[in-house]
Amino acid sequence: MFLHNLKYELKAVLRVKEFLIWIVIFPLALGTVFKIGFGDIYNKTEKFKAVPVAVVADENETTLRQVLEGIENSDEPLLKVTYVKEEDTKDIELDSSEAEGIIRVKDGRLTLAVGGRGMNESILKAFCDQYNSNVTVITDTAQKDPAKIQAVTEKLTRDVAACEVIKLTDGNTDYYVDYFYNLIAMTALFGGYAGLTVIINNQANLSALGARKNCSPTPKSRSVLAAICSRFIMQTGIMMICVSYLNFVLKINFGKNLALVYLTAIIAGNFGISFGFMVGSIGKASKDSKQSLITAVSLILCFLSGLMVAGMKVTVSHYAPFFNEINPAAVISDSFYILNTLDDLNKYFVKIAVMLVMTVLFIVIGFVATRRRKYASL
Amino acid sequence: MADTVVKIEGLVKRYKDLIALDHLSLEIKEGEVFGLLGPNGSGKTTTINCLLSLLAFDKGSIEIFGKEMTPTSYDIKREIGIIMQNVAVFDELTVYDNIDYFCGLYIRDKATKKKYVEDAIRFVGLEDFIKFYPKKLSGGLLRRLNIACGIAHKPKLIILDEPTVAVDPQSRNKILEGIEELNRNGATIIYTSHYMEEVEQICTRIAIMDKGKKIAEGTKEELKRMIKNTETITVETRGLDEAQLPEIEALPHVYQVSLDDGKLSVSCSGGKHNLIRVLEVLQKHEVHIGRVYSEQPTLNDVFLEITGKALRDKD
Repeated sequence: MFLHNLKYELKAVLRVKEFLIWIVIFPLALGTVFKIGFGDIYNKTEKFKAVPVAVVADENETTLRQVLEGIENSDEPLLKVTYVKEEDTKDIELDSSEAEGIIRVKDGRLTLAVGGRGMNESILKAFCDQYNSNVTVITDTAQKDPAKIQAVTEKLTRDVAACEVIKLTDGNTDYYVDYFYNLIAMTALFGGYAGLTVIINNQANLSALGARKNCSPTPKSRSVLAAICSRFIMQTGIMMICVSYLNFVLKINFGKNLALVYLTAIIAGNFGISFGFMVGSIGKASKDSKQSLITAVSLILCFLSGLMVAGMKVTVSHYAPFFNEINPAAVISDSFYILNTLDDLNKYFVKIAVMLVMTVLFIVIGFVATRRRKYASL
Repeated sequence: MADTVVKIEGLVKRYKDLIALDHLSLEIKEGEVFGLLGPNGSGKTTTINCLLSLLAFDKGSIEIFGKEMTPTSYDIKREIGIIMQNVAVFDELTVYDNIDYFCGLYIRDKATKKKYVEDAIRFVGLEDFIKFYPKKLSGGLLRRLNIACGIAHKPKLIILDEPTVAVDPQSRNKILEGIEELNRNGATIIYTSHYMEEVEQICTRIAIMDKGKKIAEGTKEELKRMIKNTETITVETRGLDEAQLPEIEALPHVYQVSLDDGKLSVSCSGGKHNLIRVLEVLQKHEVHIGRVYSEQPTLNDVFLEITGKALRDKD
């Protein structure tokens, strides 16, 4: 009997056009728009690139050439050097991808010509200042105490750092990926509508279909359970399609945690189903009112979780920190944030556990609220 | 004496200050086609919902097949087929799948279920539409699907709540013929409607309801015998004067005469040859006569005489 129910519930739910549009097509379309809009924006605007610079220095400037070669061959090169002759410099367009500046050597010291102001120009100036400073130190030492010249040179060539780099995370620093995580979270919450249809199709006071089912010899709990399972199966498929589309078609980089992204998306999607099931089961409102309620509650929770306005979650955590721990939208987005940015699997699994516990809790509440057998009015 | 299938005693249902069912008692015997007739809001659907244990009631008792009906009376529910006023099917399943789904809620054996589903499809004449989705069906075909979903498991008791609302005449006839066939095959039928013609056509016993009360019960003949009117004679006339009406009213068995725009209406109570006597009076006064017809009383006349209002507005 359960399998009979499950078979037809699944068959029916997979043909609901509203679900196809809002839970499948809409998120994929939105993801495509995101990708077109700013899919590669991180690489273009945020990720550091070597500063192109033209250098006028003949073959005799061996020290300078060695320093520049060392910089260019490092793991994250600071400069991209092109050697030019003085007569060719008039053709160089400064402040462009060709060269941000021109470095010349005069009496062993560097001079810099730039076409604008900005971070790249500052980097070039800092490089020239450092170089000139070092040259001054070496020259002074050679004149005053030639015996120490080797020690000074060694010290200057050593890396000097005022700050120590402490790596907080191995996670993805491309924060534009967060938009796609939020998209997955939104798709998961849209599952609430599918959860609501479990209530509508099984309550005699909400639909004729529910009334007919209630007249059958199949216990309501079995019918409801089959309906929920069908939504879980559907939502699992939808979440896998969503993540696969983002990863394999749009080439969104979910890093090394792709399997966990799938896991999170599936758990979050089923969390969304149980959320809709629970909200739909409470109160005596009509079918239309319950649909509106799901929309309103989802939007409010998304707003409070910061999916709409950045910084809102911080504000909520200041005034009602516990709310962030139980807000379904916040729990889902936090799971992805931890996975993407912090790369802390302990914190991540805590969030996953919270989602699983809340899923079970919501389903239990839904079952208890719908167990009533007779209605006061139909 | 046939067994009692449904027994309702002193049923009371209140919605705050409104009494939807006022101490309603009914007894329906096996093999009957029992009609619940009444205007909209008279309590027919409320009665059905209480009977099916969907709706809580304030007072009274309901027994089906000799057992108290409760929401968990699955053995009783197994023997009931319900056809709702509103079409209750999955829009996303085909005709075949819908019938198979609902039949499967009652019948576990796959082979039996398959046979029953095919029987139901044949019964309602949807053989050519089994792969159609409900939205592609006309109103009449949709109603037939609704019926097929309710009767596919071959129940002993079939409850039809206004199954012909918004149905074309062809489908309506098909539905009514089907109900009679189900009854011939052994099912007890409860049929609610505000269409008195349908109830008169198929029901073996009828309860007339108004404002949550049963105001009359019996066979259609018994109900008609409850009222004074036995015949209404209508004559289209030209040249009939109001002054001549008392002469007609004085005829034997005539108890009411009216003239409206040349149409003479004469209500009689018992007797024979009433029409001949009326026509003789008109001929005597050289009144020109057009169409003439005599009608037996309808259930609407019964309702009108008992409540002082018509059963329903003319469609």
